[in-house]
Amino acid sequence: MFIKNNRVAVFSILTAIVVSVSSCTQDFEELNTDKTKLTVLTSTELPYLFSKAQSASSYAFWRYQVAQNLFSDLYSQYFATSATYFPSDRYTIRFDWLQWHWIPIYTEAVPQLKTLLKETDANSAENALAKIMWVYSFHRLTDYYGPVPYFKAGDPASSVPYDGQKEIYYDMFTKLDEAVKVLNANKAKTPYGSFDLIYKGDVNKWIKFANTLRLRLALRISKVEPAKAKTEAEAAVSSGVMLTTADDAYMVKSENGGDFNGLAGISVWNEFRMSASMESVLKGYEDPRMPVYFQPAVGTGQFDGLRNGLLPAQLNNSINGNDANSNVGTRWTKWSGSSWGGQNTTPQNILHAAEAYFLRAEGALNGWNMQGSAQDMYEKGIETSMRQWGINDAAAIAAYQKSAATPIPPMDGINSPAMAAISVKWGASTAIQREQIGTQKWLALYPDGIEAWAEFRRTRFPKLYPVVNSDNADLPSGTFIRRIPFLVLEKNTNAAAVKAAEALLGGPDKPNTPLWWDKN
Amino acid sequence: MSYCSSGAFAQTSVRGTVTSSDGEPVIGANVIELGSTNGTVTDFDGNYILKVGANAVLEFTYTGYVSQKITVGAQTIINVTLTEGVALSEIVVTALGISREKKSLTYAAQTIQGGQLTQVRDANFANTLNGKVAGLVVTNAASGVGGATRVNLRGNRSIQSSNNALFVIDGVPVDNSTPGQVGNDFGGYNGSDGVANINPDDIESISVLKGAAASVLYGSRAANGVILITTKKGSAGSISVDANSGAQFDAPLTLPYLQNEYGQGNGGVFGARASGSWGPKMNNQAVTDWTGKSQNMVPQPNNISDFFQIGSSFNNSVGIKGGTDKVQSYFSFTNNQAAGIIPGNKLGRNTVNLRISTNLSKKFSTDAKVTYVNQILNNKLRSGEESSEVMNLYKTPRSIRNADMQNFESEAGAPSYWTSSSIYMNPYWTINRTSADEERTRTTGLVSATYHINEEMKVLARVSLDQYTDRGENTFYNNTLLFAQAGGSFQKYFRQVQERNAEFLLIGSKKINSNLKLSYTFGLADLARKSDFTQTNANGLLVPNKFDLGFARTLSVGTGFVERDLQSVFGSVQVSLKDYLYLDVTARNDWSSTLPAPHSYFYPSLGLTAVLSDMVELPSFVSFAKLRGSYTRVGNDAAPYLLTQTYSFSQGGIGGFINRDGTQAIGDLKPELTTSVEFGFDGRFFDNRVGLDVTFYTTNSVNQLLSLPLAPASGFSNQYINAGDIQNAGVELTLTGSPVKKEDFSWDITLNYARNVNTIVSLHPDIKQTFLSSGYGRTAGVLVKEGGAYGDLYADGWAQTPDGKFIMDASGKPVLTATQEFLGNFNPKFTLGLNNAFSFGKMSVNVLVDARIGGVMTSGSDANLAFDGNAAYTTAYREGGWVLPGVVKNGESYTPNTTPVNAETFWTTVSNGRYSWGQLFTYDATNVRIREAAVGYNFNVNNSFIKKATLSVVARNLIFLAKGNAITDIPGVPSRKMWFDPDVNLGAGNYQGIEYGTLPSARSIGLNLNLSF
Repeated sequence: MFIKNNRVAVFSILTAIVVSVSSCTQDFEELNTDKTKLTVLTSTELPYLFSKAQSASSYAFWRYQVAQNLFSDLYSQYFATSATYFPSDRYTIRFDWLQWHWIPIYTEAVPQLKTLLKETDANSAENALAKIMWVYSFHRLTDYYGPVPYFKAGDPASSVPYDGQKEIYYDMFTKLDEAVKVLNANKAKTPYGSFDLIYKGDVNKWIKFANTLRLRLALRISKVEPAKAKTEAEAAVSSGVMLTTADDAYMVKSENGGDFNGLAGISVWNEFRMSASMESVLKGYEDPRMPVYFQPAVGTGQFDGLRNGLLPAQLNNSINGNDANSNVGTRWTKWSGSSWGGQNTTPQNILHAAEAYFLRAEGALNGWNMQGSAQDMYEKGIETSMRQWGINDAAAIAAYQKSAATPIPPMDGINSPAMAAISVKWGASTAIQREQIGTQKWLALYPDGIEAWAEFRRTRFPKLYPVVNSDNADLPSGTFIRRIPFLVLEKNTNAAAVKAAEALLGGPDKPNTPLWWDKN
Repeated sequence: MSYCSSGAFAQTSVRGTVTSSDGEPVIGANVIELGSTNGTVTDFDGNYILKVGANAVLEFTYTGYVSQKITVGAQTIINVTLTEGVALSEIVVTALGISREKKSLTYAAQTIQGGQLTQVRDANFANTLNGKVAGLVVTNAASGVGGATRVNLRGNRSIQSSNNALFVIDGVPVDNSTPGQVGNDFGGYNGSDGVANINPDDIESISVLKGAAASVLYGSRAANGVILITTKKGSAGSISVDANSGAQFDAPLTLPYLQNEYGQGNGGVFGARASGSWGPKMNNQAVTDWTGKSQNMVPQPNNISDFFQIGSSFNNSVGIKGGTDKVQSYFSFTNNQAAGIIPGNKLGRNTVNLRISTNLSKKFSTDAKVTYVNQILNNKLRSGEESSEVMNLYKTPRSIRNADMQNFESEAGAPSYWTSSSIYMNPYWTINRTSADEERTRTTGLVSATYHINEEMKVLARVSLDQYTDRGENTFYNNTLLFAQAGGSFQKYFRQVQERNAEFLLIGSKKINSNLKLSYTFGLADLARKSDFTQTNANGLLVPNKFDLGFARTLSVGTGFVERDLQSVFGSVQVSLKDYLYLDVTARNDWSSTLPAPHSYFYPSLGLTAVLSDMVELPSFVSFAKLRGSYTRVGNDAAPYLLTQTYSFSQGGIGGFINRDGTQAIGDLKPELTTSVEFGFDGRFFDNRVGLDVTFYTTNSVNQLLSLPLAPASGFSNQYINAGDIQNAGVELTLTGSPVKKEDFSWDITLNYARNVNTIVSLHPDIKQTFLSSGYGRTAGVLVKEGGAYGDLYADGWAQTPDGKFIMDASGKPVLTATQEFLGNFNPKFTLGLNNAFSFGKMSVNVLVDARIGGVMTSGSDANLAFDGNAAYTTAYREGGWVLPGVVKNGESYTPNTTPVNAETFWTTVSNGRYSWGQLFTYDATNVRIREAAVGYNFNVNNSFIKKATLSVVARNLIFLAKGNAITDIPGVPSRKMWFDPDVNLGAGNYQGIEYGTLPSARSIGLNLNLSF
């Protein structure tokens, strides 16, 4: 009986095997379909793509550090590195970090935007928003390197050609113009609804956003192509730029999926602090924004900053330590008494009305029709920035606008002098006025180091400190970095295109070669 | 109890008793009348009775005993004493569990007996294989007790897949995937492997089939070689019980060489909150330190070593064997309890194993086995720089008291630390306020049935199921740097892995004539694999430090699901001529669900063996000589889901994100192919007293499925591509000798030697290099580059002029190289294992010395110890005046450097702390050590109850006999000796050669008692 049962068992096993093998490969296709992912997109998914492109283009959490905070945030001297192990503040260029300035744009913003541009009607508000986000992403990219792959970006190929910065800028103007035209015809629509992480699909605000961006780009090329700059700037202003803080662009951030406000997320790591440049200016001006931008050092209770470009041995000195210098303000991070708590869902600053006024002030000095005088725009810019950061005391704002105070020595570890001698009160000469606009716009743009570094290179304002030590032979002490060389990642994966791009750059592929619009 | 016993011409009746040499009755012995189907088996008292014909010859057989043939003649009572079997020729268990005579093998195989593994133990038994097999290199992940291992044979061939050998137990591959290995120097927790679940007490023997040749029958996963484990089976006869009890104690084998002159501070000045030891000389001066108290500054030479505890492991097992000739069973229970050298790190494991084999008739037998393992790991250790326990510890300044460190938490629950950091914390906080626990439940079942169709042919059907679940929980108290969100963080994960093998084999042999024999195996197989993973993260806890998902501020969930199927048809034919010339031909066709239609790929192999000593007359000192050669191809399918472009959903924003995945799909995916050629010689000389087994091999892996970087401007950051040609060529040599072989004294020597040379012959037409795992980070990167070798390390270094002078800047500090420099390769140039086994009567002594010569390893811990001024070598030039010999670049010319620096400036410049110039902290990983030493004693037991008692004292990692030095000598500083153990790596994946906050390996001493009843 026992034997018999076992025989039955054996035969059933054999049968099972024969059946399983003979069923063969019919179910392989289904088996090889990933249930945790999507393989087909429908219109339902498009809003999710737009959200992804928005988040990717402004660098969430740790990417914010390697894309922006370790480079342009230092080059614009909003912050200085307090960690001993980050040499980028001494102009060592860490390409392995910088690739995170590049990869998110091309592999996370571009593919989604291209899908949206292809799958939506060219005359739809959704299509227009995708164009605006395309320009927003790419202007921040090209202003690091100069030529970048643009017209063929997102076309699957083993090599993607670079395009000259001029052609890129011209196309960005065209895209913004087209987008605004389409949006003006779709004012009642709410493209992407709540999946638009900036304006929840408010078309009127997007029109102002696009025009403000266009004005920013116009000023950027004002030295290299003054006529084109004037045309674009006047078109932008007449179409309507941002006017009040209600127009400001912030991006919603989330605690989930690491979609943190980048600056907040990285503020807990004790790796950067207020720069001596910020300290010199904010303290000198008795600027009411100082306690918003920064908070007193936890070890001293004072606002303090340190210079850019210190050596590890200098950083080991406690005056340059994290406890003795100011972290970013409580908007981004709060001190528990023993550690920092990142305010990770603080909306991220994207684009603001205050900047529009400073751009118009400079345009007015250029003799363009900016629908207001330079001084008026300058002072409106200061006021709007104050209001943006929660300072609504009109008397205090007026006093600040009229202040003759100048930056002061920061009392740092190496007895630095005051950073500059410029005051707030509207000056007598165009030269002073340009420096004032540049300095105030620098303060207003905080914490957007990407834009502040671009404008510093174009205007050379504010008059920043030289870095204390440079490890980079191409950038001896006293000089400033002009661009990021083409990435090692690109040299390894897109070598021929990078080689060809050097001709488009108009100079050697070095960090001291100026970009197309940088005429200093 | 007899069957088939009705002999038509039965005339006489024979009876008797079958006993073993120790006088015990043998139950279930076969008694057969030769030339007939007549036979019986002995009963519980060893008695039999059988009617036999005229001129009958009886054969008495019993598994494991030498059979006897006795002519009945006039006898009516025949009592037989069977003696325990002596293998007349060495039998090796080969693919699919088929035993073959070793002399017929056409490829290299080496055997380890179970006893060799149960004396010297580790919570992951794979660690005990080191040095015992030529060409086998085991490294382990720094996760503490029971951590994953990387078991490599004949070098690395796969860039992105596993290079681990395949483990096969009783003919069935076991899942040995090592999920979640740390793949960059930032670090993390390593997942557990599958091998750690194997209970060494159940192992009968291990055959290591080194090349792919041996393993065509296991399919693709065997391309990295196979470790075949045969477990214990029941045997007929009296019930025997084996009990083993072992205790082992561990202490760190190597700790950093630290200075004990200078205390906490910077620039020679004390700083209560300074992170390093660049302060003043410790002269008993009173300072107000980080505790707020005034204490005298005195060296704390043991503040780091005191952190460690004596690790312990206790192992208790009992195995019961017994049965009749028809049914045999084996049951074992093993309990392991291990505590690591870092407090809190623990392993508890219970293994239950039951195996029942039957020989229900002469024609039909079955084998069934169930193994259940329950393993609990507590406080798995992190490796890497990211706040790992060890890294936090090594950051401690030399004047900080261990007793003070132990006050790691304020009354308000905040961490107490002597400095502020972005990632480092008080190590006592880390071990007390963070945890990673994992419980694994694994059930492996196997059923097989064999039916002998006739004398020459049998069919075997086998089904096995291996299934395990991991449940893990990670907790981080509020205020834990890097990991805790507001209120603390909590993660819970669940992983289920399942693998089902089903096989149907036809095995047979045919004697064509007296010279020519044929044996063959044909089979069908199906391998279905499935894994399912869910991790839920509490992003902050609303009630601080309440570690349950219910307290979460918000939850995020990650899932993974993989399912695949592989169907195969295969065959193997061996032709033997006069038992001295053997030809093996095998072929296999696989159909894999992960490949595009027609899903199919085919691969053959060919092998030839000539036993020279049987073919021709050789000099008399040659006892045995054989030549073998084989050519093998092994195909390999790919990971699933690569054929179609996918889009991923992720959380974030308002309603979540969808993005196209950054890796371009590969619709025309082709299978990978590994081709190997090997030749070997196996000889024994002087009456088998000296043996030599040598193998030369070349392996080429082409069409590898690589995820290579793609210009991101294409919209993709990676592409899957079939490309590359990676070659491994090498030699393995095993030399055995028995200088003394006497009744009361014997001495056996085994020497294993292996050398492997790897070449990246080609990578891709456009892309000539790619990093293994993540790229160059904080220490060194592993760059796979055409013309280079697998395992080449690159890192930042100290710039030199073309004629080799160091370059300094105007302030006298070293200048960084413009690009990452080649440092060396993480693989050893060659490995040696020398085992000496002595036996004096009842005592045995075994000493295994193992050497790994060449190879480099970069140490991130060392860079931190330099940065902090903790390393012993940082004491020179503390007061300055260090003019580094070399030059300063002035424009295009060089002038001699004349500017002095001090030690603090020098070491902080080259180490930068976390992101170091890896070249200066890279060591020649050469090391020679006494890997194992064991002394055993067999007691004379005059007891009818206890049959055998063996007590052994064992030691592992006893001492280093030699260690390598730093590859770069710093002018003015003596050569720096490697202080860490290169056996321990960040993880058990392909990213090797980096030490960063890895757990020191342990020196172990243990006691083992084995009793047989």
